[in-house]
Amino acid sequence: MALPPSLRTSVIPAELELIASEQLVEIIPLVAMERTAFISGAYGPLRPPVKCRVPIWMATNLKLKKKCHIVPPDWLNVEFLQGRLLLETTRPEFSEMPFRFAEIAKVLLDIASEDFQEPDKIRSLLKDIREARQAKSREGLSKLDHSELSLPNLSSMEINEIRPFFVRSMGVLTQLVRDPAGRQMEL
Amino acid sequence: MAHYDDDGWGMPAAGPSRARRDTAMDVDDPPLVARAADDEPARAPRRVDFRPPPPSAETPFEQLLRHWMNERHAPDVLHAQEGLLARLLDHIKKQTDDVALLRADPDSSEDEHFRIMLVQTEAERARFALRAYIRTRLHKIEKYARYIVETPEMRERLTQAELEHAQRYAALTESHFTRAVLDALPEEQRGLDDNVPFMPPMISRPDKTRAVFAHALVQCPPVHLPDGSSMEMERGQISLTPYHVIEQLLARGEVELV
Repeated sequence: MALPPSLRTSVIPAELELIASEQLVEIIPLVAMERTAFISGAYGPLRPPVKCRVPIWMATNLKLKKKCHIVPPDWLNVEFLQGRLLLETTRPEFSEMPFRFAEIAKVLLDIASEDFQEPDKIRSLLKDIREARQAKSREGLSKLDHSELSLPNLSSMEINEIRPFFVRSMGVLTQLVRDPAGRQMEL
Repeated sequence: MAHYDDDGWGMPAAGPSRARRDTAMDVDDPPLVARAADDEPARAPRRVDFRPPPPSAETPFEQLLRHWMNERHAPDVLHAQEGLLARLLDHIKKQTDDVALLRADPDSSEDEHFRIMLVQTEAERARFALRAYIRTRLHKIEKYARYIVETPEMRERLTQAELEHAQRYAALTESHFTRAVLDALPEEQRGLDDNVPFMPPMISRPDKTRAVFAHALVQCPPVHLPDGSSMEMERGQISLTPYHVIEQLLARGEVELV
């Protein structure tokens, strides 16, 4: 009972979001605040309109109270994502993205879409990138064996998505390899 | 527990902890972001370093998040992090006490309230992660209670409270099984730890062959793979591999599970 059954097989996206929210993002504060010590470090001082780096959870909190504008991270804009989409569709390997890009992009676009230029375009680019990458991870399944599969540049959310299937597949492969060996030992 | 007052962790003051976070930021700032902050026009070399920061740059709360995820993904019960938990609990308590003090002060301004709210929000986040971590361990401890109780190596990994819980839990389930069913069975069928040939053992134990996704935090020494070859994980590399392969790397904090 310690862990609800829904959480036993895998981590859920909400938990990944909580972890990603610890990362820092730049904001333009609309209220002043002295430098304050938090558990994860000291942030501030907030002096409008000087930019300041705070954790995403704090930015979310301030944004929902209309006390700041969020400065989108450098990888979360149309130009950068278009470049990445081109790489994803022309190259066989996964292109480099921040490890928690899916979570961060979702949180920021959900609460602060007016701070982005062309948020809809960004959303659709993210979706295209996601689909291109999904196709690649499905292809990766054919390379799976019982010992190791290297997945360079795969992001946290993508790993979580393929986890149940890949882990079980590897389990089956392990059994298949182990069993003939076991029988030889008995002979 | 030790006091952390002189660490500058008090709420409004910002002492050494600020310096600490700042060094951490230097490390995990992707160069691109740092460059953009300077508003340098030449952004052409889009060399983005998205690799994880080395564990030494982590704040205690980030360490907790990492241990929480490790615990969630590992099939085995990992080493307890008593020191880390104690430090975080102390810190949460200190923040909560400071908040209570400030709240009681009738002179505190609107701005103060706003800061209090942020501090409380963070304390809630920390409490949630702490609970989630402990619950994950409890789940595994209950699942493997009998195995833990009779394996000295497993017992060492638990805190005193966890070990007591495992012992009580194992004793309770055993007496329940005995009273409910086993008493009514013939003598030779009453055992809870029979090792029947060609059958899995009755005491369930962690399946170390289960695959996990390991994310290398540093350059790792070589490990042996089940197919006989060896692998050296580069910093930032992500591999799907059976748990026993990276067990030692994980214990030393050289990889994290994702």
